[in-house]
Amino acid sequence: MDEKTMIYLASTSAVALIVIFGATYYGPFALIAIAFAVLTIILIFVINYADFLVFPLVTNIFGIKLVPAKNYYIPRTNNCVVKYVNGIYYATGYSAANIYNYVFEAESVDEGEVSKLTEAPEKWERIVMNAGFPFRFNIVCAAGDIQKFRDELEGKRGVVEFQLSHEMGSSSPSQLTIDDLQKKISVLDARIDRLSSGERPVDEIMYIESTAVGVSEKEAMDTLTNQLNHLQTLFGSLDLNITRITGREVYHLFTFNYALPDKDVMSEIFSAQS
Amino acid sequence: MATSSRFLFMILMVLAAAPVLFALLFNFSPVINFVLVMFALVCDLLAFSTKYYAEFFTPFLHARGGIVTLNDSEAFTVAPSGNAIIVRNGQNIYASAFVKIPSYRSATEMTEEEKSNFSRSFSRVLTLSKEPVRFTAQLYVIDKDTYIENIKSKLNEAEEKYQNMTIDKSVSKADSERVRGEVTMWHNLFDNINKTRSHSLEAFAMVTAPGGNEEEAINMALQQADEIVAGASSTLGISANVVEGQELLKFLEPDYMIPAVTISEQMRERTVSKEI
Repeated sequence: MDEKTMIYLASTSAVALIVIFGATYYGPFALIAIAFAVLTIILIFVINYADFLVFPLVTNIFGIKLVPAKNYYIPRTNNCVVKYVNGIYYATGYSAANIYNYVFEAESVDEGEVSKLTEAPEKWERIVMNAGFPFRFNIVCAAGDIQKFRDELEGKRGVVEFQLSHEMGSSSPSQLTIDDLQKKISVLDARIDRLSSGERPVDEIMYIESTAVGVSEKEAMDTLTNQLNHLQTLFGSLDLNITRITGREVYHLFTFNYALPDKDVMSEIFSAQS
Repeated sequence: MATSSRFLFMILMVLAAAPVLFALLFNFSPVINFVLVMFALVCDLLAFSTKYYAEFFTPFLHARGGIVTLNDSEAFTVAPSGNAIIVRNGQNIYASAFVKIPSYRSATEMTEEEKSNFSRSFSRVLTLSKEPVRFTAQLYVIDKDTYIENIKSKLNEAEEKYQNMTIDKSVSKADSERVRGEVTMWHNLFDNINKTRSHSLEAFAMVTAPGGNEEEAINMALQQADEIVAGASSTLGISANVVEGQELLKFLEPDYMIPAVTISEQMRERTVSKEI
């Protein structure tokens, strides 16, 4: 959880908690006030952890359509952006696609990781050949601050080294834990070496975008759902964790097509993602 | 945007905390206290919502008939120079430039080492800029409109020629057969081209720069784009270039990703499959 979220959660929850603790001041309405305060805390946490459910729920219940630009709209289901031109509906949807399983050769301590990296281009080509519809694979990235990243890595390395020495000094050291900690240290060392050799750390967001057409909104949206499901199957070969994006993030990804936010906003998005 | 979100959060937090403190410090009647804390809880919830929904607050207040307009202008306008797009967000002006990153080699013709090197070069390309960059691989449907029109006109020409030949008694049978063969050839080509959709894969990078006016934003964006061109060209050994003119639309508009001819093909395919 990032710093901003912690401040927001702590301060808003504090107000609701003060309301609960001052229950004696509301006379016969005490129970109602406590119930509302508890509900507020629950809603705050639901918004924080399941915002992708809350926003579409609100737009669905009130039948709200969002207009992000001329000729475009986000239907009440909040899972795509629709463009209506010359009697044709173009529905564009997004899926989050995060690569967790690909590490670089220098970091690798396992032979399997190298083969994954060399197989990736071929797998990608196979995906492209088997997708019979338009789609985009997007990576939004920005090189980070080297010194900050290095300090973080050295800090982590210090913690792991302390854990290792603690484990080795204990009366019954576990070989499994020692191996695990040594592996962590070698990965951190490899990362620090890469920084020393001139490589830059990168923050990134990856997502897949696909567009479908139809003579009606429903047809376009149904085709889009099929296409995104198909892409999920195809990208399964790359061990990608793919989740369809719904809610306000659909609007943000739509705006990314035309202009990327500045570094500060981007770093907030990156930290929220991590 | 971030600043206005924080400002809104602070105002709502004051509105949430003040009634609670008033209720507890001045101990009004229970009814007034209750009304104050209800108001405080609503403000409290709204204050937290600003973390995610700050930019939707004002448009939601102006919603009419279930339609919330976040932006009623065009999504973008193409710069007069044709090599960037301009996006206006309130008072802010942004320009985005696109860099085409062509690739001529397939992974199937690479050795294991070349594949590994390619993956490593690719990861180096991602670190080219400190400013946010979007790298995209786009699979789109090729616009065969002109090609199909060309074949159609050739087919019509051949059919007309063949009809004239059948009327004209002086034409030899061999000549007539040859033209008939030509008609069949154009017919086959036309049918085949409609049967399959042709796709193309292109990779590009997009950079955005803000500016006080359009010219400043465009110049800044093009400067960043030039850095990407130089970096991608040297790292991947290709000739990257800034995208200009009509080609820009292919990376921006969904209707350019799937051209009109293809849509009619798709509709026909779906109708046929439904009938079957």
